Amino acid sequence: MLDTSRVQKELAEGNRDTETSGVSIALHDGADLTHLSGTITGPVGTPYEGGVFVIDIRLPSGYPFEPPKMQFVTRVWHPNISSQNGAICLDILKDQWSPALTLKTALLSLQALLSAPAPDDPQDAVVAQQYLRDYQKFVGTARHWTETFAKSASVGMDEKVKKLVEMGFPEDAVRAVLEATKGDENMALEKLCSG
Amino acid sequence: MDSEDDMHDAHDVESLDDDFYSGDTPMGSEDGDAEYDFVDNESEDSEDVTSHRQQQSYTILSVSDIRQRQEEDIHRVSTVLSISRVAACVLLRHYKWSVSRVHDEWFADEENVRKVVGLLEKPVEMPNARELPCGICFESYSSNEMTAAACGHPFCSACWRGYVGTAISDGPGCLMLRCPDPSCGVAVGEDMIRMLASDEDKQKYSRYLLRSYIEDNRKTKWCPAPGCEFAVEFVMGSSSYDVTCNCSYSFCWNCTEEAHRPVDCATVAKWILKNCAESENMNWILANSKPCPKCKRPIEKNQGCMHITCTPPCKFEFCWLCLGAWSEHGERTGGFYACNRYEAAKQEGAYDESERRREMAKNSLERYTHYYERWATNQSSRQKALADLHSMQNEKLEKLSDRQSQPESQLKFIIEAWLQIVECRRVLKWTYAYGYYLLENEYAKRQFFEYLQGEAEAGLERLHQCAEKELQVYLEAEAPTKDFNYFRTKLAGLTSVTRNYFENLVRALETGLRDVGPSGNQANANKNTSPKSLLGGKGGKSGKAKVIGTSSRSGDEAWTMATIGLASTAPTRTRGRQTCARCANSTGRFGLCCLLLCD
Repeated sequence: MLDTSRVQKELAEGNRDTETSGVSIALHDGADLTHLSGTITGPVGTPYEGGVFVIDIRLPSGYPFEPPKMQFVTRVWHPNISSQNGAICLDILKDQWSPALTLKTALLSLQALLSAPAPDDPQDAVVAQQYLRDYQKFVGTARHWTETFAKSASVGMDEKVKKLVEMGFPEDAVRAVLEATKGDENMALEKLCSG
Repeated sequence: MDSEDDMHDAHDVESLDDDFYSGDTPMGSEDGDAEYDFVDNESEDSEDVTSHRQQQSYTILSVSDIRQRQEEDIHRVSTVLSISRVAACVLLRHYKWSVSRVHDEWFADEENVRKVVGLLEKPVEMPNARELPCGICFESYSSNEMTAAACGHPFCSACWRGYVGTAISDGPGCLMLRCPDPSCGVAVGEDMIRMLASDEDKQKYSRYLLRSYIEDNRKTKWCPAPGCEFAVEFVMGSSSYDVTCNCSYSFCWNCTEEAHRPVDCATVAKWILKNCAESENMNWILANSKPCPKCKRPIEKNQGCMHITCTPPCKFEFCWLCLGAWSEHGERTGGFYACNRYEAAKQEGAYDESERRREMAKNSLERYTHYYERWATNQSSRQKALADLHSMQNEKLEKLSDRQSQPESQLKFIIEAWLQIVECRRVLKWTYAYGYYLLENEYAKRQFFEYLQGEAEAGLERLHQCAEKELQVYLEAEAPTKDFNYFRTKLAGLTSVTRNYFENLVRALETGLRDVGPSGNQANANKNTSPKSLLGGKGGKSGKAKVIGTSSRSGDEAWTMATIGLASTAPTRTRGRQTCARCANSTGRFGLCCLLLCD
């Protein structure tokens, strides 16, 4: 069975230094501990800079002894991430997973993956080929995708806005708060309630 | 006697493979002797159908044999390196259970080996505090509730159990388990498993450990027969890959298909693939289709008129009846739908040309069917013979001994005959796969092959007939029959004659039929284009060795060594056997001459 107390600890720990780490974790729909949503900010100095990337996280019943299943919701142009469905090719999410790793360390690893692609072990062959053959073009595409999909008007963001608006908050305020919390629904909700 | 000879051979060959055997030799020979007696006894009991002519170059291992050997290896490493049993086990597992490799690596660079495998020189104590946080569930526990591997990274018992349990249910990877801390590579060995895993998981773990000893070791393989628990240790470089397990299943050690000597593994693989693809369809295709006269693909006519258009890319349009081009049809042929060319031509007997074309198209299928039918018939005939052999051993022999007032020990010749039949059916079966791949244009070879095969087959049929039918009379007789002794001589004679035919056949095929051709061995070797020789051998050997060396894909060295061994150690190898004065072939246990074939 899923170790719920560990997941709860991880949620608290994962959001402790969101400002500096650029990583946050939240429940996806408020009740289900096995379905979470993570966000990472694009690392500075990469084509992903300025973007906020949403990652869908599903915890198998064997978690933390089995790795969490992670997938990019935000579309991203990267050799190790499928441009079609956001599937990730990263060893610690597969055979190199250890129960002493956490969702936060996994998200930080994803952030590191954005900084340091491994085109020799690609998930998306098209992207990897472009990365190796025409790096400049790769950077251009990746940046364009970041602008298009990972900035505040992204699909993930729209969903969150819609959800909070449905709770009865004015859309302008919701967008402003979500912007400030870098898309973290729970924190945004807290701010909206307190403000 | 035989077994002693074998040991000589085994050592000769072993010394050629330094990398593999250097560390094991002293121990290996001890084991070998002991195992040898065991296997030999077994074959006396007659299960071993190949015992007649085969040098045993392998050892059958039961589960308890395997455990014992594994334990011995672990003990040896642990003693020599002065490390714990668990550490020795981890090391051996990492170096694929090669004791010599562990020794080499360890004494070359112990520090590096320790790092790679995850063995610390001195265990690290857990942090000395009353309460410690578990690195997995993040709860705090008093230090006596925590466990750590040699690295001292503490985790609570519940998390350890989860970690170990998940690893074991994930598969044999659990044998290489490391500390859960991602920055730490310290090995988690069997001692921890024993302490932390559930009983069921412990059993699984020890099963994986056992399997790993066989599966990771280049010298050993499991018997592929379903449900069989024996493993086979093979002496690398032996002359034959054929292995007979204690479960009585015979298989090729190299490719683990059923035993197929004298045909090589590549031919067998091709043949089996072909059979999977075609055998079931063959009858149907032959009964229901005609090949397109142009592209030869089989076509089924399931409805409609006689105007057939072959599927692209061929698109040839032809008449189903006469298989002639449709463009030639029309009023002249009695209308499109009544091709009387066919009738007329047939009546005139002038239909040879297109009939022959159809013949040729059908030929490739028919050729295959010809060989397949004979292959399959010998296969089922062998199964039947095997069943007959068992019923003979289990009931009929006793009955016969009763009816003919002969002690069972005097009736062994009947078992010998059946063993020979079973073995010959197997060889004959595979020669049909060989024949299928023997090129049409190798005319001389083909003739020689078919002659040998025909002789062998005829001999076998006589023997089979005699063992099956003639014996029946004596089984049913009310009182001892006078001419039973005559029968004994006949059956034993047929057995040895048939054996000789087959030995000749096997030898000829294993040497790529090189005796054929007017220009002598060497020249022939270079022109040799039989399927076997196309597979290539490693050059750089003398002409003679090279021909033999080409007879099997990866076994080429084995064959070569066997032949060199035969030449140089002939006196040793033929000790206890008789040699035919005319052909210089050893003639097996009975010392009978090779008869007709030497004339």
